[in-house]
Amino acid sequence: MNALAQKVYDFVDERIGLKTLEAKMMNEPIKGGSRWAYVFGSVLLFIFIMQAVTGVLLMFYYIPSADHAYASTQYILNEVDYGWFILSYHFWGSSAMVVVVFAHMSQVFLWGAYKKPREMVWLVGLALFGLVMAFGFTGYLLPWDQRAYWATTVGVEIMDKTPIVGDFLARFLKGGPTPGQMTLSRFFVIHVMVLPAALMGLAGLHLFFFRSAGPAGPFRGTTEELKAKTDFFFPRQVWKDIIAMATVFLAISALALVEPVELLQEATPDPGDYHPEPEWYFLFLFQLLRWRIFSGEFGQSLAAIVLPALFMLLLAALPFIDRNPERNIFKRPIALVSWAVVMIGIVVLTISAILNREYLD
Amino acid sequence: MQPQIKSKVRCTDGVAGEVAHVIADPIALDLSHLVVRVNGTERQVPMTAVSKTREDSVDLLCTSAQLAEFPVFAREDFLSSKEVEIPHLEEKIRVEPGQVFVPIPDLEKSVPRRRFFAGFTNLLAVLIGLPLIWPVLRFITKPMYAPFDNRWWKVGNISKIKQDNVGVQFIFKKSIKDSVLTREDDKSNWVVKATPEILKNIYTHGDLSFFDKNGNVIWVNKATVPYVAYSGKCPHLGCGYKWRSHKTRGQVFLCPCHLSIYDVTGKVLDGPAPRALDLLPIKVSASGEIEVIDIEYKAGTRQQDRIA
Repeated sequence: MNALAQKVYDFVDERIGLKTLEAKMMNEPIKGGSRWAYVFGSVLLFIFIMQAVTGVLLMFYYIPSADHAYASTQYILNEVDYGWFILSYHFWGSSAMVVVVFAHMSQVFLWGAYKKPREMVWLVGLALFGLVMAFGFTGYLLPWDQRAYWATTVGVEIMDKTPIVGDFLARFLKGGPTPGQMTLSRFFVIHVMVLPAALMGLAGLHLFFFRSAGPAGPFRGTTEELKAKTDFFFPRQVWKDIIAMATVFLAISALALVEPVELLQEATPDPGDYHPEPEWYFLFLFQLLRWRIFSGEFGQSLAAIVLPALFMLLLAALPFIDRNPERNIFKRPIALVSWAVVMIGIVVLTISAILNREYLD
Repeated sequence: MQPQIKSKVRCTDGVAGEVAHVIADPIALDLSHLVVRVNGTERQVPMTAVSKTREDSVDLLCTSAQLAEFPVFAREDFLSSKEVEIPHLEEKIRVEPGQVFVPIPDLEKSVPRRRFFAGFTNLLAVLIGLPLIWPVLRFITKPMYAPFDNRWWKVGNISKIKQDNVGVQFIFKKSIKDSVLTREDDKSNWVVKATPEILKNIYTHGDLSFFDKNGNVIWVNKATVPYVAYSGKCPHLGCGYKWRSHKTRGQVFLCPCHLSIYDVTGKVLDGPAPRALDLLPIKVSASGEIEVIDIEYKAGTRQQDRIA
């Protein structure tokens, strides 16, 4: 059997240069050595692959129609063997994706790895961040329960406040003036076709740019010290990556087991006793919209569209504004403080959104 | 054995120069020429003129006088092997990749207007895409600008309202057609039976007219009719609000999403809402049946902007 496998390998190698390809993939020198801090990119790729696998499985039973979306999701949860697990894994996987994206971006930011010559990697990374959020937003509607319906209704009304293109964008997403079947069709096709294609393309580009520019390495240490610690991607970093992936897999599976997805009532344009709320990773934005200073037509578009857009623009411009080659985070006080402020702000807003729930009952 | 760069080149009458580069045949994946540097001039010598290749030298079949008659190496007619995509070339020719040259095909040399071709290619690509823009745009925007729905909907009977100046929810079934799919959706409205002083605060400008797309009046709410209907959609961001008792403000309409609070006349008391609750055209039959036109306005704008 081994001899046969070798023959097949040699056959392929002779035609496409498999050995060289493999060597180039694995023998990437990692300046300063492998680290746990570098696992996030690989973990994200792993989470995406699992989302794709579970997503394809869900499509075997899911029916994207306003009449059947809810019932078919219930069918997956209650009738299909392990359907509850596949759906719950997909649900928790999306949360894990957002958490790890934040970790990945934070790591790159704190390490100063967005600086020259890695600006292109950073820019494509930001686009990927946008895709991840879009995945979360579009996927949320598909079960067609109250939670899904209302998060989408409000989310689309918020997009409507985008200057100039808002009205078109909202109608485009809703597929009409009000949410309905057309909305579900559009969200479905965007979630299962458009975004995955875009993500695969951009993730490939992200990796290609990353490999072209090379990893940044630690932010301190002399060239000699770094050289002494340098190793290849395989085996040490690959090993750390796979351990991290296994940990994430166990965490998501555990969440799926302990807190499986439970649908609320089927979506109706009357919320009943349900207090509409978006998924937790949008809660900080949601809470911001409750503030008086962000009330009114102008205030809303400021909080929901203009500020987030400016923040993304600032991130995109970051490598071009911050031209200081210093990468040590402890010598970049403004960067460190801004990061802390953003993170604390998000945490505080999220917690206050959760605390506000009690006030409502 | 293949000739190496910097190998000495021996003619039949002694050492004449050294190998500067090699030229590969991109089809045969083999060496076709050596580029020999003789007295500062690079000459292109075919492999057929080579008699023997050693570790550090190459023997030629010709004399140094004959060597000087080989054509001068024209660098502009060649590309470095790094600039062309030729699979397996590096495996076959074991010379520094940058030092291997591959001739530019003759057909390529006689293409004088490369920029024109590049421009023309792009132009054709645009011409393919251009006629698709409008049909695709029409295709995806088809349901986006549906005409207003001015039908009257029976929402319930006034006997449900037990008290004046209190919000009462009326949920009714509204049939909706999405492409070929016909569905019934629950829709929610709030009806208030207002006392005259409250009514005055609702209809501050007297009778209220409603319009269709062309600006024609479709209905007038008389300021003297005590029954008023509010659209169930919160004018802030489109959530569904409720009638709740508030700690300090008493009975109010409260939206749980972003905590907008309205009084019974629809006026904003607190929270981020940009305008009062939206009044709907309402008529009450002699038997007390309430009918409304389920007008939908865009949420989040100071002025009412009808969308459905």
